[in-house]
Amino acid sequence: MIVNITVNGEPHEFECAPHESLRTVLRREGYYSVRFGSATGETGAAAVLVDGQLISADVMLAAQADRHEIETVEGLASPLSLHPIQEAFIATGAIQSGYATPATILAAKQLLETNPEPSEEEIRDALSGILDRETGYLRPVLAVQRAAALLKGQKVEEITKVLIKPLTYDIDIEDLTEPDPLHPVLPKVVPHPEVPETAVVGKPELKVDAVKLAKGNPAFVDDIEMRGMLHAKVLYSPHAHAWIVAIDDSKARALPGVRAVLHHENVARVRYASGGQSYPNPLPYDQVSFDNKVRYVGDRVAAVAADTVEIAEEAVKLIEVSYDVLSAVFDENDAILDGAPVIHDEDDMEGAHDVSRNIVHHLSADVGDVDEGFEHADRVFERTFRVHQVQQAPIEPHIAIAYWDSDERMVIRTSTQVPFHVRRMVAPLLDLDVKRIRIVKPRIGGGFGVKQEMLIEDIVGHLTKATGRPVRYELTREEEFVSSRTRHPQTITYRTGVDESGRLVAQEMKVLANTGPYGTHGLTVQMVSGLRGLSSYKARNKRFRCDVVYTNIPVPGAYRGYGAPQALFALESHMEDIAAALDMDPLEFRQMNWTTTGDPIDVAPELGEGDTEGAFVPVVTSSGIEECVAQGKRAISWQRRVDPEWVNPRERPHIRRGIGFALCMHGSAIPGLDMGAASIKINDDGSFNLLFGATDLGTGADTVLGQIAAEVLGVPLEDILVYAADTDMTPFDTGAYASSTTYISGMAVKRAAEEAARMVVDRAALMLDERPDAIELHDRQAWSTDGRSVSLADIALSSLHQRQQRQIMGTASYVSPESPPPYAAQFAEVEVDMDTGQVEVKSLVMAVDCGVPINPITASGQVEGGMVQALGYAHCEEMAYDETGRMTNPKFGPYWIYRADEMPRIDTYLVETMEKSGPFGAKAIAEIPKDGVAPAIRNAIVNATGARIDAIPFTPERVWTALQV
Amino acid sequence: MTISEYHRPATLEEALALLARTEVKSAPLGGGTLLNGLPDDEPEAVVDLQSLGLDSTSKDGNTLIIGAMTTLNRLTEDDSVPVMLQELSHREAPNTIRNVATIGGTIGAGDPESGLLAGLLAYDAQVTVVNQTGSSQVPLGELLGDPSHLDGGVITSVSVPTGGAGAYEHTARTPADIPIVLIAGHAASSGAIRLAATGVSETPIIIDPGQIGALEPQPDFRGSADYRRHLADVLSRRVLNRLEPGGNP
Repeated sequence: MIVNITVNGEPHEFECAPHESLRTVLRREGYYSVRFGSATGETGAAAVLVDGQLISADVMLAAQADRHEIETVEGLASPLSLHPIQEAFIATGAIQSGYATPATILAAKQLLETNPEPSEEEIRDALSGILDRETGYLRPVLAVQRAAALLKGQKVEEITKVLIKPLTYDIDIEDLTEPDPLHPVLPKVVPHPEVPETAVVGKPELKVDAVKLAKGNPAFVDDIEMRGMLHAKVLYSPHAHAWIVAIDDSKARALPGVRAVLHHENVARVRYASGGQSYPNPLPYDQVSFDNKVRYVGDRVAAVAADTVEIAEEAVKLIEVSYDVLSAVFDENDAILDGAPVIHDEDDMEGAHDVSRNIVHHLSADVGDVDEGFEHADRVFERTFRVHQVQQAPIEPHIAIAYWDSDERMVIRTSTQVPFHVRRMVAPLLDLDVKRIRIVKPRIGGGFGVKQEMLIEDIVGHLTKATGRPVRYELTREEEFVSSRTRHPQTITYRTGVDESGRLVAQEMKVLANTGPYGTHGLTVQMVSGLRGLSSYKARNKRFRCDVVYTNIPVPGAYRGYGAPQALFALESHMEDIAAALDMDPLEFRQMNWTTTGDPIDVAPELGEGDTEGAFVPVVTSSGIEECVAQGKRAISWQRRVDPEWVNPRERPHIRRGIGFALCMHGSAIPGLDMGAASIKINDDGSFNLLFGATDLGTGADTVLGQIAAEVLGVPLEDILVYAADTDMTPFDTGAYASSTTYISGMAVKRAAEEAARMVVDRAALMLDERPDAIELHDRQAWSTDGRSVSLADIALSSLHQRQQRQIMGTASYVSPESPPPYAAQFAEVEVDMDTGQVEVKSLVMAVDCGVPINPITASGQVEGGMVQALGYAHCEEMAYDETGRMTNPKFGPYWIYRADEMPRIDTYLVETMEKSGPFGAKAIAEIPKDGVAPAIRNAIVNATGARIDAIPFTPERVWTALQV
Repeated sequence: MTISEYHRPATLEEALALLARTEVKSAPLGGGTLLNGLPDDEPEAVVDLQSLGLDSTSKDGNTLIIGAMTTLNRLTEDDSVPVMLQELSHREAPNTIRNVATIGGTIGAGDPESGLLAGLLAYDAQVTVVNQTGSSQVPLGELLGDPSHLDGGVITSVSVPTGGAGAYEHTARTPADIPIVLIAGHAASSGAIRLAATGVSETPIIIDPGQIGALEPQPDFRGSADYRRHLADVLSRRVLNRLEPGGNP
């Protein structure tokens, strides 16, 4: 049918089918700012204005829009210009991945057109239909407020960092602000005396990719069109555990428009592990592209490529599969019992500890002698905790497009955090040499670990090999929930011995971890659980024991925090309870025992990755934890927790209030293993191309790395043109994981820029007739000590064109022997309804020591968004199953993630320390915000009600049940 | 979804003729937010009601008549709509959905977790259904219990009394989440109180606060049957307290 739709003021006639959504048609017509989040409309990523009303284009038929007017972000501004709302979103740091930014901007537009002076509540209501997994909604709200001011022609405040007066030490800086709740959104930095003054580093620079994201320019995997492109669909298993006895694909193949049907009978059996990790990938190798056994509801059975998505869907239904259904096991505690079904009984399985008992790995680490420690302890405490399964839920699901290029090399354009690992790992599956594969990572709409995986790249690769044509595969929301990756559930038991003064003498952590049917990250996530679970506190004797077991649940993998959120929920709950049993203040008890500058991280050598032979015992090289605790206590008004009138408000008799704390300690990259590399070259105008393999998945990594290069070269950030990541074009990087990009790739960029800077200086010395050691770079100039200067543009022209010609450039890589820990103090305030068990989280405060924040806005944004994800883990997110192992809530809504209009107060403090090993003093920040929210809420519930709840999430029935005891 | 026909009739008669066809499975389309996007094999044809002028509200004495195609967002902003129903319309969905979802579609879909439907039940809403044989008023509770009332027909309007007072209470995982149990109550001008609930039955239903123990809720991961009965009890008491003279509706 033909529909007449006016888009951005221009009338159009579009051909479409009656069933097609408005999103499908708008994207096909080139409005790429309208983005897919789910088919059922609840993500809002595809929201557009229809007759001025914000509407999810997923759930409106294109036919319904016939004879209506549509606005998309493409209509807001022309090339090289910006709408004031776009300017506001860029200035405030409201854009992280930017995947749903166009929809958010349209929400702002509708609001401000009818309500030029909206309240915060009205703004939050206007944004409530657009789910955001990244920002915590704080900066988007600020952006709308700023846009309102801009549209009224008002002068707006400069976005700058607010320097907060330290509470535990003095510093000689003017204009320090008292910690002040009036600045909830400007990034708050507590300065440290050892941090030197810098020009670009440490400044809230605008994100280098913000303009294209604010304008909805085609920047994501799906924002290209290829002639003859086919669409893939996958047949997923309806059974949790079954042998595939027979597959009949004849009806599917006979369907017109079907170009290939692949399954275990026609794809080579090559074993692999899908986790995106360094070579050699950790064992076990327990997967193949298509197996003759399925091990969870949602496991792959077959893949189809067809001319359209609809034909591919139809073909999938026509594949006839006979299964021999086996009994299944879902709980890690049941999987190791005698008689449990054996999940990997195939004979070519490689590298599991004991497949007959479903035990993939048996891990242990020992420091000192724990048994002796317990013997000498005055008191010994033991408690068991359970943490559940959640999904990363990036708003952009996994998507990949494969094609043969003109050299007949396989190009895979994919939404991945690990392009280099994907290239190496997919090569043997496709039976292609690594050199015949190119992986391109464009912008990514969020990852959070779920894209640290070679997940669907083999499917599009196989199908392109089979058909010779470009193949696109995008997961549906349900497939993203069920058939991608999740967080590992664990059963964790802590045992801790203390002496009469409250000092820890021995600490033991036992973990039974559920890695689902495949190992992927099963080894390393659990190693991080042990490392993080036994590093926060000093004890002479420590022991870690862990069994990682197979079950038939959807596959756990990497998820931001990577084993630490599980461990720290248990540890910080346990420590709270010990403090209470000892009648000690929970903060004093922790302070007496926490590790700080100079203390060894003694379990690290036993739980390191890569080559741990002869690994040294790292020590804590910087810690701002005392200042973090002081700032956080003040920000949350900690003293209220001991005021009975506050805890038990008289006017609301069924409500109890409480405040809780959790100590967080993380790492910065995997020492001795994570490597990043960068190259940089000068252009005619004195600008630089900076290329690296690190992958910005919305975090601001491209910006932070650009700032580091700009600082070294004495140029503004706008003179650094960042390109990443492309296995043909950019140097290697392990990828975006393990909190490594700022610390590792940042150091590689710094060194590459320093190499280029030396060449700039040499050229300046030649031009100024000076000694190189008398030259300094700043303000786009090279300066001699006597005040003469030459511009970088003239240096570039001289060097490229005029005499002794050479390319000014630098290349470097970096791997670190250490992993300096960021620390943080996490506080939470809750209200509990004693009659229903409903918990409302009122406030989250995190003060974090990330060394020197290279960009205080993006660093704050990491904490804000990370805390909100962690809040979902603690409070409302869970994957639920029926008795057959089928997930019953694979949809936003039943799987609830926080919305803009229901957020607690979020407050972030960046407490500087000078980490000498990091670039310009930086440590990591990306993952630590995930670590402390669950235990802080748990401990707040203890403060409010006395109930000690040892499992998450804190959903109403769980809390109510605990209150009945 | 395999919709192969889209119709946008200009008159109700035309719409009813399309919906009465037996050879093509046809469904009326309100906003479409619940129908579109579902991986469902039916219907084959949709009949979009957007051009029938069913989107206005009017008053008839003490009765408010809400056109079936009125969007939920319009309800939240229309001050002639009782406050509780405004709030429940707002809570039903975020603006991206509320701006297109309609009250008629909400009733037709009969979502068991719809707080708005519970609110309308408490208000003893009467639904006007028109088919080729004529027009009839069906109490909402009857219609939810027996959706065949809608076969071949179109909801044209919903009527609620304007008087009395309403109050609702709910328990959910987070403030904006779909409630596990929601209780909506309406005290009519006569003083008669009617309570309705979500989360305790296959559809939103009228409940008798004295008979909560007899409810048989469908348990799910958010709430066992016992817990749902407990919530229904606690929340009903709270609603009744608020509806009492001197309460705080």
